[in-house]
Amino acid sequence: MVFMINRRNALGGAAALAAFPAAAQDNKRIVVGTWGGDYSRLLAKNIETPLLAPKGWDVVKDEANDPPRRAKMLAEKSLRRGTSDIQGLSAANMFEMNEQGVLEQIDYSKLANAKNLIPAMKYPYGVGHIYSGKVVLYNPKLMSTPPTGFADTLDPKNGDKLGIIDIQYQYTLLAAGLASGGSMSNVDPGKERLVACKKAGARIYPSNEAFAQALKTEEIACGIMWKARAVQWQNAGIAIETVAPKEGVPMYVSGFAMPKNAPNKAGAYAYLDAMMEASAQEGFAIDMGYNPTVTNAQVKPDVQKRIGFTDEEKQRLRDLDYGYMAKNDAAFQDWWNKSFKA
Amino acid sequence: MTDTAIAHGAVVERRRGEGWTASALVGPATIFIALCLLAPLVMLFRYSLNEFVPSKKMMVEAVTVANYVKFFTDPYYTTILWTTVRIAVLVTTACLVLGFPLAYVVARTQSRFKNLLIISIVLPLFVGNSVRAAGWMTVFGAKGFVNASLMGLGLIDKPLEIMFTEKAVVIGIIAVNLPFMVLSLQSVIEGIDRSVEEAAFSLGAPPATMFFRVLWPLAMPGILAGTILTFILAMNAYATPFLLGGPLFKMMAPLIYNEFTQKTNWPFGGAIAFILMTVTLLLTVAANLIIQRRSAR
Repeated sequence: MVFMINRRNALGGAAALAAFPAAAQDNKRIVVGTWGGDYSRLLAKNIETPLLAPKGWDVVKDEANDPPRRAKMLAEKSLRRGTSDIQGLSAANMFEMNEQGVLEQIDYSKLANAKNLIPAMKYPYGVGHIYSGKVVLYNPKLMSTPPTGFADTLDPKNGDKLGIIDIQYQYTLLAAGLASGGSMSNVDPGKERLVACKKAGARIYPSNEAFAQALKTEEIACGIMWKARAVQWQNAGIAIETVAPKEGVPMYVSGFAMPKNAPNKAGAYAYLDAMMEASAQEGFAIDMGYNPTVTNAQVKPDVQKRIGFTDEEKQRLRDLDYGYMAKNDAAFQDWWNKSFKA
Repeated sequence: MTDTAIAHGAVVERRRGEGWTASALVGPATIFIALCLLAPLVMLFRYSLNEFVPSKKMMVEAVTVANYVKFFTDPYYTTILWTTVRIAVLVTTACLVLGFPLAYVVARTQSRFKNLLIISIVLPLFVGNSVRAAGWMTVFGAKGFVNASLMGLGLIDKPLEIMFTEKAVVIGIIAVNLPFMVLSLQSVIEGIDRSVEEAAFSLGAPPATMFFRVLWPLAMPGILAGTILTFILAMNAYATPFLLGGPLFKMMAPLIYNEFTQKTNWPFGGAIAFILMTVTLLLTVAANLIIQRRSAR
């Protein structure tokens, strides 16, 4: 069949072309890539429903863990129009995605609330949404002497009462490194310690939730996790206490970044700005136990006491060396799978 | 002569018509498979020949077999392949042994509840693999149904380690695959005339001889279909080993997922995918040939 361009076809095509930019301008839909579960629910409760919906924005969620969402972003790299406008990622993953060249650089002049953002949370390629720190968790009933840091938690003497989370391999390596004289840019000294713990019977759990379950059933007595998660688990009635480790508290920052080929960048900016609104940040502190990344959020003293860090502890907060983590991540995973878990 | 030519022409015409109908029938599915299966496979194969820069997590265009060499020279990966084959063979054998008697009873029963029996075999397939695995988790856990019952009865004083072990994975995959085996066998056994079994018995064959000399050879098409289906499903099992096997137990499908998503190493992930596909295909064909040759004897 020969395709003929006749008058009618040409007119139809022109009309479609003319209609297209109009449709794009009217686009009030924001596609948000995020983890499912609590986080997604709280995004709706604290950001989307109270702040974006009244302004006419329609938020659609693409819920999945971050690895498949990152894989999707990479797969869509060569497309002119991607399928998401904004993606929730950890600071380490945002760094990595930026290295891969898929992230839009943020124009902070378009964000009215950026003036309140803690400077450390202002990444050129993304905005920090919430943060917490890696702390030690222990069950006071099962451990008579509370641990003081990573060294006496990631210790073979704890035998099968120590729990380790598989997907937390990066922070576990960092914690073991700090415990054995390493630094945020050198985890190697901790490897021997981890292998010794595994030999002594340390239990390895596939997910954060499986680890929480084991703490609840008293299968294990200690481990390491975000302070925010510990707060959530305490709220759920799991008998644990937290300690800010003396070796340093590695920070976990979760934020949002925009793919270069986001179809609705105006929507993405609106989302970023709403996310920094004090009320939204306060909601996340109460509901999820994470610390606000803006200075004007008012957190009640009792909440602050549970989720936050004292001034003395804040001195020990350590941001990650994202370049080091990204460069060595494949090697970390190889070691973790082949040498540690083998 | 002319008559024949005309008649011949009509036959050709009719055949041509049949050809068109056939291609119209086969066409849509063929196009779908070509677009949705073959094209991605060709792309994936091309990726598997690329290089990967670990420090940047980036794929670099190249033509190399390094990914395939890496798999077969690293005992970590070959052990995972071996574990996968071992589990698949074990599960397939268990499904055949457990499924044959059940399929026989279902095929031969005169009961008016026969349809109910078949539905109860198919019913587990109404629920996804991961949901079923979640169910097993509550059964196998340290304080799960099995351990709580055994400890309650005073038979054990420390919970048995079932969850996150090979045992849990084997039980889980058998539960998933058993209906496929039973249904394949049942449909074939139903087609075997009962009188051939009676003939064997009346000629003095004991039950075991009747089974091996009459029932087994006649049921061979069902056995082949069931074992192939079960074996392929077990080789490619993802949700069950991932959820019940835990972090220390590895099979091929979760390994491939991990390479693609966690490490973003598409070239190596692609290579492993092709290795899994080839090994599954070769083992299936080889087993088929062996079984068919044996039964032909």
